[in-house]
Amino acid sequence: MKKTAILTLATMAFALGGMFQTAAAETLRVGMECTYAPFNFKTAAGELDGYDVDVAKGVAKIVGADLKFVCQKWDGMIPALLANKFDLVIASMSITEKRLKKMDFSKPYRISVGRLVGKKNANMKLFDDTGKPIAANFAGLKVGLGRATTYASWFEAKLPKANVVFYDSSDAMYIDLVNGRTDMIMTNPMKAFLKFLSKKDGAGFEFVSPQIDEQKFFGTGVGIGLRKGNEALLKRLNAAVVQLSTDGSLEKYALKYFPFAIHNQKMVP
Amino acid sequence: MIVDFSLIIDSIPKMLTGLSLTLQLLFVSAFLGTILAIILLLMRISGRWYLQWPAVVYIYIFRGTPILVQIFIIYHGLPQFEFIRTSIFWPILREPYGCAILALSLNTGAYVSEILRGGILGVPRGLHEAGSALGLSVRQRFIYITTPIAVRLAIPAYSNDIVSLMKATALASTITLLDMMGIARTIVADTFAPYEVFISLAVIYMILTLIIQKSFGWFERYMSRYLKKEA
Repeated sequence: MKKTAILTLATMAFALGGMFQTAAAETLRVGMECTYAPFNFKTAAGELDGYDVDVAKGVAKIVGADLKFVCQKWDGMIPALLANKFDLVIASMSITEKRLKKMDFSKPYRISVGRLVGKKNANMKLFDDTGKPIAANFAGLKVGLGRATTYASWFEAKLPKANVVFYDSSDAMYIDLVNGRTDMIMTNPMKAFLKFLSKKDGAGFEFVSPQIDEQKFFGTGVGIGLRKGNEALLKRLNAAVVQLSTDGSLEKYALKYFPFAIHNQKMVP
Repeated sequence: MIVDFSLIIDSIPKMLTGLSLTLQLLFVSAFLGTILAIILLLMRISGRWYLQWPAVVYIYIFRGTPILVQIFIIYHGLPQFEFIRTSIFWPILREPYGCAILALSLNTGAYVSEILRGGILGVPRGLHEAGSALGLSVRQRFIYITTPIAVRLAIPAYSNDIVSLMKATALASTITLLDMMGIARTIVADTFAPYEVFISLAVIYMILTLIIQKSFGWFERYMSRYLKKEA
């Protein structure tokens, strides 16, 4: 009896060990800054947490790999990836033409969008049901924008007649919104939430537009970066990102930090 | 460095679309500032302490602080107070244009009043005595003797102040106004070409300075025309 038990235990241990080995066969080293809250940062207890970290864990689970996080300063992120210091960059890195020349990116797990913030209950019907701006309803309203930003380009292209003013700092832009010098501003909704809407000053304000996600202006978004020439891995990462999107995981990760989803909800495999 | 001439040729007309705003800021503030300066001057030479004192304090404050700080206090600081946002002045203070005009006028008023005071102090005492010997009243002496001479004496310094004011209008771009400087900054932010754009802008400002100098030179000769005849 005892012998059998020991044998069973041994078998189990062997089996467990075996399982461990197959899983450990692939370890993906993930580079991130570890200081970019709420996307990748260390908690007071020293644990890594954040949206990027959750995505990394979710992806690793789906592709069946172990994870090892490597903290890397931003300016050395791409060189470190290319020098094989880690395998993936999951660090809120936007997919750009310039970067695509050096590396590959998975499908975006976070999108770049713009959104308008204005006074609560102002009942400005600025967008129709398909998400297109209604130019006439912008008449008489003043819009604050960052100077030479993608939001400024979007306004110039879509609403050339709108009354816009440009700011060099986002603080000045928010102050003028609060003081009533402008009626709305357009910015990145995550920043607007973290810096403004979730704070005391932003109490009387809310988003007054849907998420505006035109790639031509705002880019594709944030993807998982990897070295070129890893087609097989790229395919698996893409499948994993799509799965995280469709099974609601990405939304769940986002809702930990924001009151809205920050990925492309219309993603197709 | 390779100078991008096509960018210069492109950006100059764009910057010139801000010329009317720059000139508006200049002329409106110069006008309001000069009126303020005359009031301050009369307060200072009134000989009554309750008029003199406020003028002295005012001039000290506005000459003693950078104009950029004054613009920021008026633009960013005043709206922090609820009573200002509900006051009748809010329609003016809400607009960056109103704030810029106010700040520039208040600032230049302080300087110009000192310039005019310098002019008045420069009028020889003997002329006053001559005037009173002719039986002119204090008011008559001030209007017919002191003022014309003081204005002539003040012109060079006053023209200097107008040039300074013209250059100070560029600070209006820090509170979202699209004067020539504001437009230039937007072009630079778009093109990352500070040299071409800002140097072209500097040339435009220098031409404006030249025009102001020449105009005042003419005005000064006109005011001194009787001296020329003597010479």
